[in-house]
Amino acid sequence: MRKIITGLSMLCIMGLIATMAWGYEFTPEQTEMIIKSGVTPEREAYLKTKPYEGVTIKIAALAGNLEQSVKMFIPAWEEQTGGEVRVIPIPYAEFFEKFWIDCLTGTGNYDAVLGEAFWMGQLAHNNYIQPIDEFMKDPRFPYWDPAADPPSLKKLRMWEGKQYEIPWDCDGQVLYYRKDVLDNPDYKKGFWEKYGYEMPVPPSTWDELRDIAEFFNGWDWDNDGKVDYGMAMHLKVGGQGMFHFESMSAPYLISPVNPDLWWFDPETMKPLITSPGHVEALKMLVALRECGPRAALSWSLGEAWDCFLRGDAVLCFSWGDLGSLAQDETRSVVKGKLGVSPLPGTLKSYDPVSGKWIIFKRPNIVGNTTGGSWSPVISAFSKHPAATYDFCSFMSTEAAEFWNACSGWTGVDPGRTFTIIEPYGPAKIEDYVATGYDASDAKEYTSAYYKNFYNPVMYPYLRVPGAAEYNVALDVHLSEAVTGTCSPEEALKRTYDEWERITERLGRDEQIKLYQTAIGYSK
Amino acid sequence: MKRQQIKFVFLLPAVIWVLAFTIFPLAYAIRLSFFSYHLGRGETFVGGRNFVQAFTYPRFWGSIRITFSIVLIAVVLEIVLGLLFAWHFNREMRGDKVFRALITLPLFATPVAVGYLGITLFYETSGPINMFLSFFHIHIPWLSHPFWAKISIILLDTWIWTPFCFLVFLSGFRAISEEIYEAAYLDTNSELQIFRYISLPLLLPILGIVIALRLVEGLKIFDLPYTLLLGGPGTSTEVYPLLVYRTALKNFDFGSASALSLVLLGIVMSIVIIFFKQLRRVYE
Repeated sequence: MRKIITGLSMLCIMGLIATMAWGYEFTPEQTEMIIKSGVTPEREAYLKTKPYEGVTIKIAALAGNLEQSVKMFIPAWEEQTGGEVRVIPIPYAEFFEKFWIDCLTGTGNYDAVLGEAFWMGQLAHNNYIQPIDEFMKDPRFPYWDPAADPPSLKKLRMWEGKQYEIPWDCDGQVLYYRKDVLDNPDYKKGFWEKYGYEMPVPPSTWDELRDIAEFFNGWDWDNDGKVDYGMAMHLKVGGQGMFHFESMSAPYLISPVNPDLWWFDPETMKPLITSPGHVEALKMLVALRECGPRAALSWSLGEAWDCFLRGDAVLCFSWGDLGSLAQDETRSVVKGKLGVSPLPGTLKSYDPVSGKWIIFKRPNIVGNTTGGSWSPVISAFSKHPAATYDFCSFMSTEAAEFWNACSGWTGVDPGRTFTIIEPYGPAKIEDYVATGYDASDAKEYTSAYYKNFYNPVMYPYLRVPGAAEYNVALDVHLSEAVTGTCSPEEALKRTYDEWERITERLGRDEQIKLYQTAIGYSK
Repeated sequence: MKRQQIKFVFLLPAVIWVLAFTIFPLAYAIRLSFFSYHLGRGETFVGGRNFVQAFTYPRFWGSIRITFSIVLIAVVLEIVLGLLFAWHFNREMRGDKVFRALITLPLFATPVAVGYLGITLFYETSGPINMFLSFFHIHIPWLSHPFWAKISIILLDTWIWTPFCFLVFLSGFRAISEEIYEAAYLDTNSELQIFRYISLPLLLPILGIVIALRLVEGLKIFDLPYTLLLGGPGTSTEVYPLLVYRTALKNFDFGSASALSLVLLGIVMSIVIIFFKQLRRVYE
């Protein structure tokens, strides 16, 4: 007996050590491809000098997947350049605060941070980060094509005409649906009988999407013996639920007539959040919540994704990670069954300038760049800006980015043109299939992202100082509405009051100036 | 050095400690509460504006209400359970040391860890608690309903702190002289009467201290609501210290956060003073 216990204990310990030692690594072929990507003759000569011998750079990255993704590129870069990279993982809850305090105190603990695009106003306006335009012209650094960024994303990486971010993650939200279920003739017939119109696949308005979600909610449509749901969402406070409201509410206000005004009146900085368009959108969010499990109110992002990947929900709107994760058959049953489309639109949109609803004959579809679009920026206090730029550019070359885009676990999503499959981009289906993608899924996925990022009308991204605070206030009060603590109108009124307090505290005149700069507003 | 003067040398470390870690932070917080101070933006004197803003902020009153409702219920449960366990274990029995050790285990758990553990325990779709309750066809929305979210925090807090009350009460029971019990047994055999008329009155000073300690500690509750629910759903578990934390370290508004902290200090001090005055009166 003692021998058995000892043996089992040894096995457990060895398993533990193996688990701890295990990590992701590039294959030699992948490493070679990444090393060769973005190399110019000038760079080849530069690398021969081992330019960063004795230099150590420190990169702050979100603890978890993003941190791991950065670590993947370190060995190859260190071997090429002689430099050393240390990744400092920081949990989400204190990520901005740590970097911000480092900036305020001028400590220079971090040479670069893989930050979120909505930090831009706060950091660039105060000159706490460096523009990279000069580095971009220097052929000694790894080359990445600035034109590969869709204009909607490129805008986020710049402030007052200067580029600050080295492109990496491309965030935007699209609709994922179960093509196999929505195309089922019996279900189509049932839908027609219940709603009196043919089930549109994919839905082109939020009303249609709600009907589909409602139709599939609460019964076992995949015959696995479990009750299934219409919609997988996550609405926990602090779980980034507000981003989903922002994307879904966009067409309720944004249209060719009103391309910019969702957040504030740019002349007074008075919030627009209590507008009839916002109220209508929030009522839709509450209705969608009822088409999924109640537990979604306490879910974070991963739980909602898992609900869809397990095959328990027919719809989910979220970031690009989900499309890649769907290909991982250890976690997903939806590989090869994926439908992806830009987010639905609306047939009417509220114009806050005229105070009237605009009616459309065809759905008003609005693209979005919602999310962090996590990308590196170089600290103004970095002692080694060239080495830092070099490493960050190394992670941003075509081969590096393509690998990231195809690997769901990294959290770095596709969007740059070379990640998009023909006819919208230069990538081939085979490129994705070679990484384990289902051909149909890959095509659906990248074309949806192309259509989203290149939509002529885009949801306006908030980048003023305090953007995180405005978002957090919205998050908390949205949760009140969806849990039924108060009505949608009351929740938005509370958000309005909080936003006013934040604006007052940060200085209304300053905020007006920066908001106008951020959205490119002129009278 | 004269014999009279040497005492000041020995006192010096304690004086420095109190000045550096109690008086200075307090004085600095009081000063800060009259300034608009945002990290990186300098400071401006604003008089009592931070206090006015605090009192007119709806989430201020909401968080006070939430904190008191959670803390009062949790403290009552902890005291009652701690007292019952202590009364039960205040006797010779087989395996009492093992039981005592088991009961005190939660006290050594970090509240942050317990909070994260709670996410698993109260997980609504497949957590162990709801799985167990499903045998009785009961499903409780522990983390998604404002009422049940508060209950889940109360349960975890009770689980952590009941052992503390138990330990203190047990030592209190042990301190009561056997002779008093022997004299009481001449008049009655009822355990309940002995508890009501002998044990409880003699435990009163300890009971007072435990209540005061738990109330003061409880009003600083932060770890559990933060890790378990981040103050949600909505603001339903946004306790007062969480509001202060968000104001200071999320919004970098140190002036308002100082004002909020001083209000909490005032509330806690008032409770402790009133409580001890009442207790002294009852005891005398």
